[in-house]
Amino acid sequence: MTLPVSFLLLLILFSVALIAVLFVRPGVTVTRGGKIMAFLVLFFLPILCATMGISSELERSKSTAFCLSCHIMEPYGKSLRIDDPSYLAAAHYQNHRVPAEEACYTCHTNYTMFGTAKAKLRGLRHVYVYYFTTPPPPEKIKLYEPYNNRECLHCHEGARSFEQGAVHNSDPGLLPAVKANKKSCISSGCHEVVHNVGTLANVKLWNGGS
Amino acid sequence: MTLSVNPAERRLQVSGVLIILGLLVEALCLAWRGPLAFLVFLGVGGLLLFAGIILFLISLVYHPGPES
Repeated sequence: MTLPVSFLLLLILFSVALIAVLFVRPGVTVTRGGKIMAFLVLFFLPILCATMGISSELERSKSTAFCLSCHIMEPYGKSLRIDDPSYLAAAHYQNHRVPAEEACYTCHTNYTMFGTAKAKLRGLRHVYVYYFTTPPPPEKIKLYEPYNNRECLHCHEGARSFEQGAVHNSDPGLLPAVKANKKSCISSGCHEVVHNVGTLANVKLWNGGS
Repeated sequence: MTLSVNPAERRLQVSGVLIILGLLVEALCLAWRGPLAFLVFLGVGGLLLFAGIILFLISLVYHPGPES
């Protein structure tokens, strides 16, 4: 349990205790001090607790553990531990090219102004699909739209290994096309092996991170 | 433990109960690590907190004056 959550739980307990006092002795609100106390415990503290709670929950929803807590996502979690560097997601996760604690969120959030909000709205849709419809099998899950190179370039653009890589410079038109999102990073012949959850039965898993 | 006979105080007490319930739901959701926790927190806890705060604000607006 992180410190802010512990602090928030203490604040909630403190608020509940003060409200209980007000419930038992509502007459204290006839005095000026009582009125101020009522305002603090029935307006200010609940709003503060709710705001901190929403912030804490939103932060938690970015975690890899949160994404993988849905049964349908288990194969995707497993794909992060594939012992083969040609698997893009596994290589990023195992080498901490993305924060291991927020691996899913880092790659699957659009790096735009409302990227996080869009990701949360899609998360609500996922909950609906998961609980109220028949979700597709893991290997049939598709992205809403083709993966945008912007998400890769957010980290890789400007990096020496990316800009001066031999394969990236083998064709002078390749890097401009990648940067303009005209040629996908995960297109065939490049980094097309990403999660590939359909082949998990035949791969060796890495246990170094556990 | 009973509700006050004074309508203004009773509104405060009901408001307090709603807010306590909302805060308890929030505390449970913070401890519960499931993906539905956030939805329950917003849907149930948020609604209870909102109702409690609105009732408190209403009790301020409709507080009986000294002539009543």
